[in-house]
Amino acid sequence: MAQLLQHLINGLAAGTIYALVALGYTMVYGVLKLINFAHGDVMMVGVYMGYATAFALGRQTQKTFLGVVLIFLVAMGGCALLGFLIERFAYRPLREKPRLTALITAIGISFALSYGFQLDIGFLPGAAPRAFPEIIQPTEWLVIGDRDVVVWNWQVMSLLIAVGLMVGLQWLVFKTRFGRAMRAVSYDHRVAALMGIPTDRVIAVTFMIGSGLAAGAGLLYAIKDTSVSPLMGLYVGLKAFVAAVIGGIGHVPGAVVGALLLGLVEEFVVGYAASTWRDAVAFGILILVLLVKPGGLFGRVAAEKV
Amino acid sequence: METSSVPTPSPGGLPPALRGILPVLIAVPVLLLFDRLLASAPFATYLLSIMGVNVILAVSLNIVNGMTGQFSIGHAGFMAVGAYVAGVLSLSFKETALSFLPVAASDQVFLVVALLAGGAAAALCGFLVGLPSLRLRGDYLAIVTLGFGEIIRVVVQNTDAFGRALGLSGIPQTSSLAMVGFWVFLVVLVARRIAYSSHGRSLWAIREDEVAAEAMGVDTTGYKVRAFVVSAFFAGIAGGLFAHFVPIINPGSFTFVKSMEIVVMVVLGGLGSTTGAIVAAVFLTLLPEALRSAFTVMGAEGSLAQKVDQIRMPVYGLLLVALMLLRPQGLFGMKEIWEVLPRWLPRRRKGLA
Amino acid sequence: MSPGAEASPPRQEEAPLLQADSVSIQFGGLRALTDFNLAIRKGDLQGLIGPNGAGKTTAFNVLTGVYRPTRGDVRVAGRRVNGWLPHQINHLGLARTFQNIRLFRALTALDNVKVACRAQGALHVEGADLGAKLRGALRNYRDWWRALLLTPGFMAEERELTRQAERLLEVMGLSHRRDEEARNLPYGEQRRLEIARALGTRPRVLLLDEPAAGMNTREKADLMVLIRKLRDDFSLGILVIEHDMKLVMGICEQITVLDHGETIARGAPEQVRSDRKVIEAYLGDNYLETHGGAA
Repeated sequence: MAQLLQHLINGLAAGTIYALVALGYTMVYGVLKLINFAHGDVMMVGVYMGYATAFALGRQTQKTFLGVVLIFLVAMGGCALLGFLIERFAYRPLREKPRLTALITAIGISFALSYGFQLDIGFLPGAAPRAFPEIIQPTEWLVIGDRDVVVWNWQVMSLLIAVGLMVGLQWLVFKTRFGRAMRAVSYDHRVAALMGIPTDRVIAVTFMIGSGLAAGAGLLYAIKDTSVSPLMGLYVGLKAFVAAVIGGIGHVPGAVVGALLLGLVEEFVVGYAASTWRDAVAFGILILVLLVKPGGLFGRVAAEKV
Repeated sequence: METSSVPTPSPGGLPPALRGILPVLIAVPVLLLFDRLLASAPFATYLLSIMGVNVILAVSLNIVNGMTGQFSIGHAGFMAVGAYVAGVLSLSFKETALSFLPVAASDQVFLVVALLAGGAAAALCGFLVGLPSLRLRGDYLAIVTLGFGEIIRVVVQNTDAFGRALGLSGIPQTSSLAMVGFWVFLVVLVARRIAYSSHGRSLWAIREDEVAAEAMGVDTTGYKVRAFVVSAFFAGIAGGLFAHFVPIINPGSFTFVKSMEIVVMVVLGGLGSTTGAIVAAVFLTLLPEALRSAFTVMGAEGSLAQKVDQIRMPVYGLLLVALMLLRPQGLFGMKEIWEVLPRWLPRRRKGLA
Repeated sequence: MSPGAEASPPRQEEAPLLQADSVSIQFGGLRALTDFNLAIRKGDLQGLIGPNGAGKTTAFNVLTGVYRPTRGDVRVAGRRVNGWLPHQINHLGLARTFQNIRLFRALTALDNVKVACRAQGALHVEGADLGAKLRGALRNYRDWWRALLLTPGFMAEERELTRQAERLLEVMGLSHRRDEEARNLPYGEQRRLEIARALGTRPRVLLLDEPAAGMNTREKADLMVLIRKLRDDFSLGILVIEHDMKLVMGICEQITVLDHGETIARGAPEQVRSDRKVIEAYLGDNYLETHGGAA
């Protein structure tokens, strides 16, 4: 029973991180109908930015509250900028082209980032994973029984941060002027442009928010894993994407539910079956979902306009 | 009365039963001759075999990504299935020989059987992966094929019969240049004949407008799955061949990187162009080798020569982005080399590796 | 072309080739089509009109299987086809054109038609049971196998398809465009090529979505003649969506008028023309008040 509870907690903690990344996929998909393949790799770049900042701050400062905030701010801001640049120079010129061209571009960017960061030329970090500094000292937040169930402080923190960001996002999309513009662009960006909505700006900002969220999630993931590597973007990104599809891509709460679900299933597979199968789980679920309910749990398969 | 759009091979008074397989009958002796000539040059043989495998992969992927307009990025997964199935079969029949044949011939028979088994296994996987995902819009296929590649990797790493992470070694090295060349030839022939049959036109139609194709009675999902199965079959063959001329196969040989390499070949050659895929595959196989030799000859930076393999990957990514932004149709677009080259020639000869 | 094909086939009581039984479709909260009824028999030439956004194209999409009706039944050749895929419905003998031309742009005119012809030979709708499905699938793979070996039977089939397609191009007056890519054809010819392609599926009912859009008066007049001729030569039932009232009134024997997804009138052209509701829908509610009823 205690074991079950522990897995439940670990699964939820992992799920919240997937959820933050999945939100980026779902938002960009919402406005552009594009699967932003490079999303996970943008996240990876953000984590390296945070890593570099932590280094620059030094062992003492990086653990202070201000230090941590600064690390998060740099990573999220840097990523937002990166997202902006990618959108501006790679996706925007292709917006009216066949969907396949944008998809190929996204795959290309993902590949360039994840393998570019494996080089050890110049500032690039090289392929080997590096230890991520313990900017948040892991402490036991809650212990039940004789260490039967342990809840760590970072688990609580990532849960709080994730929930906070999600609530904020929901508020942004449904309660603000910008959110209304976003939804209009999502519905039909050409018509939205005719209605005087600055679609370019809306899309750019959406990219920036998505990328910033990803950087935050990436840092949480790195803190949990205590490591950072160039390929983490690919794996976390793919799983987050699977989560978004499970929930119904383009559907914000769906992405969260899908991510939590995925986090739990993975945790239980690792806990009760074998950890080596962990990476296959997400894709197994993906294929299953596509077979049974291709639109995801909450989405619908939109009929193409004829 | 022949048309420009459907050039059926010229009848030339042959019995029709022969016409279908005539190209094969011509190709085999030529390939055998070639094989003999290069017998004393192991590196050239190896490089040409790699090139051949890459051509098979690119041409077969082009059937799905080019002709049908879908986007699979997990071709290496099917290659892995073929390699492991064929490899395990060959390993288990290593000591057996057909008594009524000379040893060399018997080896080749076993090789072909192993290859066909590998191809069939890959085709079956293609069917199982394709059926759920090809019903949906294109980008799902990309993700699912990518995921499939991962699943294969995980399965291999967890299966003793496949040597787990260490891989399989000791597979009889029975593949030859002639065998690789034969399959290259076969995949090209198949791609051409599909493309120029009315079935192939239906694939093009799906690429052009899926809704309209469906409305005109084309079973789009069925066609896509069939294209996918054929494509996976040849990827499996390519994997099987690969397993029979490299000393060891392990999960590292069939990663996402390999899939991307094939995708880059197809996109560079021009989505839909078989000759484009061939040219790009040859070019991209030779390029790293050429760079490596160039750096080594220059001698200045020994480490640079070793870095070629590393640098290749991000360059592939950037190449894709640049292609999409500047020349989305690739080298030849949907056309074949002989349709495009005459238009280029008068102005300037374009280097073709 | 053929001299005086039987002009008006006798009306019989057999099931209509295409029938809509109080079909409704809803997108979210929007009712795009409400209680839509329709019956098309061999030799019919009917019109479907209505202001922009009245649900005409939606009706086509429901009939051809692009959308699944929320309520009601669509029957083709007597079979209920709710939830069937468009290509399966097409195989029962229902073909269409598109409002915004959707040709296979990179294929030649001939290949456009050939694809449609081929699709009929290869597939079979019959039987939903697994055995039949498997047999069908195997047949399809065998078909490809024949294409790879260039068997004599396959080559003969290809020649036959080419012949059929050429004949249809000729009927539509497009023989001179045979080997040109569809995207390079002038607009009017693209519309005609779409009809040729639809005919390639050997339909019994043909749905034309604004076939005259973008044509000049002369071309429209030619088209009217052509549509009638197709109906007679191919013994089709035809349903036309059209904005041009003159065209519709000129050729259709029965007209259905849609507004906001609802059928507001149905009948012979004269009848519809003087219908009060139709005039309101087309010209706005105020029109009658200011112009005192006469149209």
